Amino acid sequence: MSFRDRTSEFEALVERLQQRHDNTVLERRSLIQHAAPSHERIKNKTEFSLIAAEIGRNISNTTAKLEKLTKLAKRKTLFDDKPVEISELTYIIKQDIANLNKQIAMLQTYSKDQKLGSKQATEHSSNVVVSLQSKLATTSMSFKDVLEIRTENMKSSKDRRDQFLLSTSDQPASSNYESLLFDSPNRSKTKTDSSPAIIPLESQEDTLSLGIPMLTAQQQQEQQQALMQEQDRYIESRSTAIESIESTIAELGTIFQQLATMVAEQRETVQRIEQNTEDIESNIIGANNQLLKYYKSVSSNRWLMIKIFVTIVFFFLLFTLIM
Amino acid sequence: MKIYSISVLRNDGGSAHPLAAEYNLAEFGYFQRSSVQEFMGFFSKTVAERTLAGQRQSVDESNYVGHVYARAEGVAGVVITDKEYPARVAFSLLNKILDEFIMRYPVEKWSGTVQYPELAEYLKKYQDPKQADSIMKVQRDLDDTKVILHKTIEGVLQRGEKLDSLIERSEELSSQSKVFYKTAKKTNSCCVVM
Repeated sequence: MSFRDRTSEFEALVERLQQRHDNTVLERRSLIQHAAPSHERIKNKTEFSLIAAEIGRNISNTTAKLEKLTKLAKRKTLFDDKPVEISELTYIIKQDIANLNKQIAMLQTYSKDQKLGSKQATEHSSNVVVSLQSKLATTSMSFKDVLEIRTENMKSSKDRRDQFLLSTSDQPASSNYESLLFDSPNRSKTKTDSSPAIIPLESQEDTLSLGIPMLTAQQQQEQQQALMQEQDRYIESRSTAIESIESTIAELGTIFQQLATMVAEQRETVQRIEQNTEDIESNIIGANNQLLKYYKSVSSNRWLMIKIFVTIVFFFLLFTLIM
Repeated sequence: MKIYSISVLRNDGGSAHPLAAEYNLAEFGYFQRSSVQEFMGFFSKTVAERTLAGQRQSVDESNYVGHVYARAEGVAGVVITDKEYPARVAFSLLNKILDEFIMRYPVEKWSGTVQYPELAEYLKKYQDPKQADSIMKVQRDLDDTKVILHKTIEGVLQRGEKLDSLIERSEELSSQSKVFYKTAKKTNSCCVVM
């Protein structure tokens, strides 16, 4: 009797089923265990899911930090600003996002290199990568929004600070000091929307409420002002450079437009020329034909021969008559 | 426009310790180099001590300008350049260097001196700010592109002129050929009298 030995196929099937079962189990449990699968495909897929899970965890960490940053950036008070913390946090989040980008790129190349067995496995890995990428993209979008909010707040706080300083610079320093000493310190902190044209009493109140959290409000404000000016100078120079780049690009855009318009106008001219040349061609062909016909008629017309003969005879007769 | 030195200092409390420094002293005479280097080191130290965390400063000193940026982590970077070097580029260079430094060497290694070979490369690269700074590079490329575009537009204008002359000539030719045709036609079919 003949039989086929299909043991190997059976073994392969069993392994495949086992690998699938292992993968689902692993992805459900936490990833601290190192299951020891013998098949290399299983090991690679485990590594893949390990890395993917770690990336997911990092993304969630970064989102948490981003939320903290959002809360900090949304505060609108004038003095609890904590710029150092905010800048540190921004820096950390930026680094995290860059790292995550790199990790996801690595994961993608890793998954491409793998020769995973079934089509579904490759689809699954690519789906995982895509979802991680989209999560990272949403995180960075919200990060960008937070930064924008932060810059707006900083600008408005700077305006308010300038308004306050404008009002304080009207007073001599001594009178501020006196108001600190003599007036009672129980006033609430005023929120902003004082216009620059305020009466001296109100400005004293404002400066007093400014003076409550700090002792030497004037000096510290001056220091901060100098600091902000220095920062501003660097930042302003950057922004002017970038603005000039932007205007150059806009100019280039207009130049390209003009170029396109000119070439479009010239297209019309070219069409006219083309028409002219076609007319010329048809004219000349027609004239050529006419000449050909004439030549034919000249060279082969009997009637013409007779006419010529008659003319010659006529002239001959004329000459003889004259003679 | 030159950079004379870049140095990274550790800035805690009131005193600063240099962690890494690179100097470009090719301009000075051979015997002055060591004293100039010492002076620059001292200058960097003093300026770094007087800068608060998170602050940028530019200090003028006879022919040179020192740009200093102190970070909140306790390091400060000082770049000494001549007066023409744009301050913005110097500060962006400082930003980059300090970021890299902090990433590579964690806080424990910040005592004594640290080997930071990239400083020498940066010093050399940033000697020409137009090459190294990305903003200036973009600006320069844009300006070049603008020049090229101006030339292109002039070329297009000349092309337009040539096209106009071509139009005239082709119209003239067209009318002459028409005359030719008419004459030929006339000669052919009119006036049977030879």
